[in-house]
Amino acid sequence: MAAIRKSGGVVPYFWQGKLVDPRDDEFAEHLSLQRFRTIENAASEEVSVGWITPADPTGDNFSPEDLDGGIGTWLRFRIDKKSMPMKWLQIHRDAAEKARGKKMSAKERRELKEDLMDQLLPRVLPTITLVDALLFDDRKTVLLFATSKSAKEAFTKLFFETFSIQLEPADPLQSGMRSDISDELKHTLERVNPIRWPNTTLDSAKTRAPITDMPRPAPKVVEPKVVKKPKTETPVSDSSQNESPPFEVDEAADDASSTNDTFADGMSAETTSTEDAPEAPVEAKMEDQQ
Amino acid sequence: MSQASQGVETHGFLGEEFLTWMWFKWETEGGEFTLSGGRIVGIAIDDFLTFAALTEDETEQTLRRGSPTRTEEARTALRQGHRLRKARLLIAEGERQWTATIDAPSLTLGGVKLPEDAEECESEMDRTADRAANWLALHEIVQALYRLFLKERLTSDYQSTGAEQQANWMAR
Repeated sequence: MAAIRKSGGVVPYFWQGKLVDPRDDEFAEHLSLQRFRTIENAASEEVSVGWITPADPTGDNFSPEDLDGGIGTWLRFRIDKKSMPMKWLQIHRDAAEKARGKKMSAKERRELKEDLMDQLLPRVLPTITLVDALLFDDRKTVLLFATSKSAKEAFTKLFFETFSIQLEPADPLQSGMRSDISDELKHTLERVNPIRWPNTTLDSAKTRAPITDMPRPAPKVVEPKVVKKPKTETPVSDSSQNESPPFEVDEAADDASSTNDTFADGMSAETTSTEDAPEAPVEAKMEDQQ
Repeated sequence: MSQASQGVETHGFLGEEFLTWMWFKWETEGGEFTLSGGRIVGIAIDDFLTFAALTEDETEQTLRRGSPTRTEEARTALRQGHRLRKARLLIAEGERQWTATIDAPSLTLGGVKLPEDAEECESEMDRTADRAANWLALHEIVQALYRLFLKERLTSDYQSTGAEQQANWMAR
């Protein structure tokens, strides 16, 4: 088993409450209940997220010694994603249209797609992403070694499903609230406004505008996700079809979020992301990080 | 949106002020900080800076390679009142040195390079233990520096003391 990575991006999280002691067998049992399950032979587009150990990528074994990360506990989870290669669909559709000498209708395209999915998806191998985390129980802190939005969402969801504990990102507010500053300062922290630093390029040579506060940004209102209705005669009544999967399946949306997230460095067997800083190595494969 | 994830939206500016404050301290006081327990760490801004836009419509400015903090573009951005959004830092404590790019609004770390593995490491398990300790140390140093900043930033007279000094530095 190779050592844990020595470079890359990291997202810290805190938690409150009591976690099962990572040294107890019960901790491994919790992981085992949410272990990774393969979708290698699945005949539909889907995503599987679950725990494995650094020593066993299958999710079949959870020996406590495999979780030994020195002063921390070494967690690893696996995200497999199976999706139909769009190029194949295009090739088959072009061939069908060429053979019949005219364009297919929307209904015919849909039927062709369903047929091809039934035929081809069992033969498509899922993409595999392995993500590590280091958990420090005494500090109620976990460091996630991936910064893409989808990996963060998958991790916090899996952690909650496993331990019934909500992780909080160590952002400027939470980091301050978790620190040992006085209650009075914490009260101020919750209400503090940004400093408006004077623009001295506009000032006269002798005077500088005073330092002032400016309004604190309000949290953005997130509009509920609009789900496109399928073009069928019968309305969709099953609400479960509208639920988002735990790991973003929509390639376009996921790519967009990864591009915006300049720290994205998901440790993927496939390349899932980009890196931020200059000269920093792009770590696309776990082997590169040893 | 959960309350936890709102912290970046509502207090991301504080991370940007923190990063700019570290630059100020580095240039004016040498970048050495004494943390709780008497730990002494040194920081320096490396070869990558991104200035936050003052408004959503403005362009973000990134400077990279060489010594961006010494450029006229960086001084102009400070004179215009811009905060740092990202910066690549060198962080040292004793013999250990890390490099990391801090994303200020979220306080996440990218492009981290840990110190070299300790010479005593003979097995992969030893290396994992050594690296885990270095990952945790880096996280705790950043948190401790942020705590130092907050203790100064959240005092009632900050605008007439620390902020005034920093504004003078930014206007140079």
